[in-house]
Amino acid sequence: MKRVVIERKILERNDSSAQRIRALLKEKNIFSLNFMSSPGAGKTTTIEQTIKALKDKHKISFIDGDLETDRDAERIKALGIDTVQINTSGACHLDANMVLKALDKVSLDCDILIIENVGNLVCPATFDVGCDKNVVILSVPEGDDKVKKYPVMFNVADVILINKIDLADFMDFDKEKVKKEIKEISPKAKVFEISAKTGYGFDDWINFLSDMVKKR
Amino acid sequence: MHEGSIAESIVDILKETKKSNNLSKITKVTLKIGIMSGVMVDALLFALDALREEEAIIKNTEFEIIESNVKAYCILCNKNFEFQKNEEIVLLCDECNMPLEIKEGKEMEIIDIEGE
Repeated sequence: MKRVVIERKILERNDSSAQRIRALLKEKNIFSLNFMSSPGAGKTTTIEQTIKALKDKHKISFIDGDLETDRDAERIKALGIDTVQINTSGACHLDANMVLKALDKVSLDCDILIIENVGNLVCPATFDVGCDKNVVILSVPEGDDKVKKYPVMFNVADVILINKIDLADFMDFDKEKVKKEIKEISPKAKVFEISAKTGYGFDDWINFLSDMVKKR
Repeated sequence: MHEGSIAESIVDILKETKKSNNLSKITKVTLKIGIMSGVMVDALLFALDALREEEAIIKNTEFEIIESNVKAYCILCNKNFEFQKNEEIVLLCDECNMPLEIKEGKEMEIIDIEGE
């Protein structure tokens, strides 16, 4: 019997691909965002509104991850944005290898790259895809108890957008409780209340994002 | 269930290790999984079991998983915090209310293997 000490990270291959993505995007001076949320929280609508607010000043490229269909990519393509669809065919998350391959196809003649991860509040949190910032969307109809139920996802968030905030009063959604729990699990995350439908809160979110792009 | 992808990554590393150490089989593997890694230990063991059929290298391998608690630290107060599984995690210092740095509890590692 022989004992071999290994001490290797299980996801070392994913992490090294994520580092290659970071190096490539840095070399091209591209600021990158990885949007994550449950299905139906409003990732695509939020991304559409974000792109509309920024596309006069910035060149934006988009990578969409979904199990099946290119419905979301088509919505973003309709805004005149270069898009690449990744179909994971059952996999519940994007990983860095998938994103690295997609970077061969998407235009890197841009200053912002937006990645929309597979709708899932659990699995994508574990896989670094090499972006500058993780943006997690929590939507009001999901309930005000989700932050502590999905701590790993909220902990990896750099920005948390509380979407569909126009429904808060109808849904008995306790905003203060949510913000307190975000503070406890993700103390450094920047939080914005938004409604991608009405445009509420977008000025602050877009200003913050523009600032980050400027400082890249 | 992303534990399937994680199980496949483990098998890939085991194949490399078996080759580089001239082993004929791997009898035991010890993993360290942080309680805040996002990996559910039972789901990972289930995924590894499901792979035994197609991956001869782990057909009879025993997997031991060490779960590590969340350990966090307040730089300002020089104070350590530890959170166990099923305990509510609060990453703010109870004295100065500043964000804590996580030192442990998010890792996913292969610690060692035994083989012949």
